[in-house]
Amino acid sequence: MLLRGSGEHNREALALEGIMPNAGMTSGFAGEDVLAELADAFYASDPKRLATARERLRDALGDDALVDAAGIIGIFDAVVRVADGTGVPLEDYKDEASAGFRPALGINRFHPDKP
Amino acid sequence: MYAKADITVRSDLDRAHARAWRRLGEPGTWLDGRTRIEIAAELRHAVDCELCKARTEALSASVVSGAHRSLNKLAPAHIEIVHRLRHDAARITQQWVEDIAVAGIGEGEYVETLAVAATVLAVDGFTDALGWPRHALPEPSGGEPSRARPANARLDIAWVATLPPGEQREDEVDPYRDTSGVHIHQALSLVPTETIAFFELDAAQYLPDSALRDYGTEYRALTHVQIEYLAARVSAINQCVY
Repeated sequence: MLLRGSGEHNREALALEGIMPNAGMTSGFAGEDVLAELADAFYASDPKRLATARERLRDALGDDALVDAAGIIGIFDAVVRVADGTGVPLEDYKDEASAGFRPALGINRFHPDKP
Repeated sequence: MYAKADITVRSDLDRAHARAWRRLGEPGTWLDGRTRIEIAAELRHAVDCELCKARTEALSASVVSGAHRSLNKLAPAHIEIVHRLRHDAARITQQWVEDIAVAGIGEGEYVETLAVAATVLAVDGFTDALGWPRHALPEPSGGEPSRARPANARLDIAWVATLPPGEQREDEVDPYRDTSGVHIHQALSLVPTETIAFFELDAAQYLPDSALRDYGTEYRALTHVQIEYLAARVSAINQCVY
């Protein structure tokens, strides 16, 4: 939802499907490719791929952006476990606001048993 | 913590990591400093656990039995919890939380274990992503946990007790002093000091709550769009429903 909100603020028509790994499409903003590759490489257990992804991001967006990206990967790797480990549900207003695009992203298929 | 790094780290982020790392070894609300460090060490060690790998590949984790590759410093139930959080958190169920986690070590202890694990994952994830060595775990300090449970904490929105925003007593810590109190902020609220500490780290690594929808201002080298895309990508890789 925050991605959609920030895109709307910038009057950018973002394809949200692009956040999904292996979606075969992009969201359509500058730097997307290097950010996606850093996240994917982080989880690939392949140090060489991760090192290459870092250098690509550094070349494209700069050192400060690389630090920001590392921080976001780390904190969201943690936040998802806080959510999963406690079972906190999506707020009703977020559920309603995202109802239109969640099926297209496939999020509802992750764990249909969860609230 | 990063004064000698080959890339400059924002001072607020450096301070947040130093604070989070120091807290790891201090007594918490439900766990003493030694146990908190043992959780951190087990979490790191768990990455090569063959049982966990077999379970993640199975249709259901419960059908695969065996022993974890463990440091064996924690109680068996605690080891199970740490390994599950590390390898297969997305398939945690309410029944597992009730029957394995809470029944195994206690509700406050489980929530604090989550907070300790999340802190280590956040900081280790940062250094791992940058290709930097992980920080040595701090030495545990003495002292006893306070065991202070918020009086109005109860089963409400989650599988563990939470403290609804605005319901802390005057003599209790407000877990939502710097956040809006949405559900993810409530997740660890049974242990208010851990909620505050974790979301201080969150504010430094991601964005402060007040900045999330301030789309007209860019607070980082990455734009709002880039930040939210990366956050969503990581959540999707982890198949997080929230």
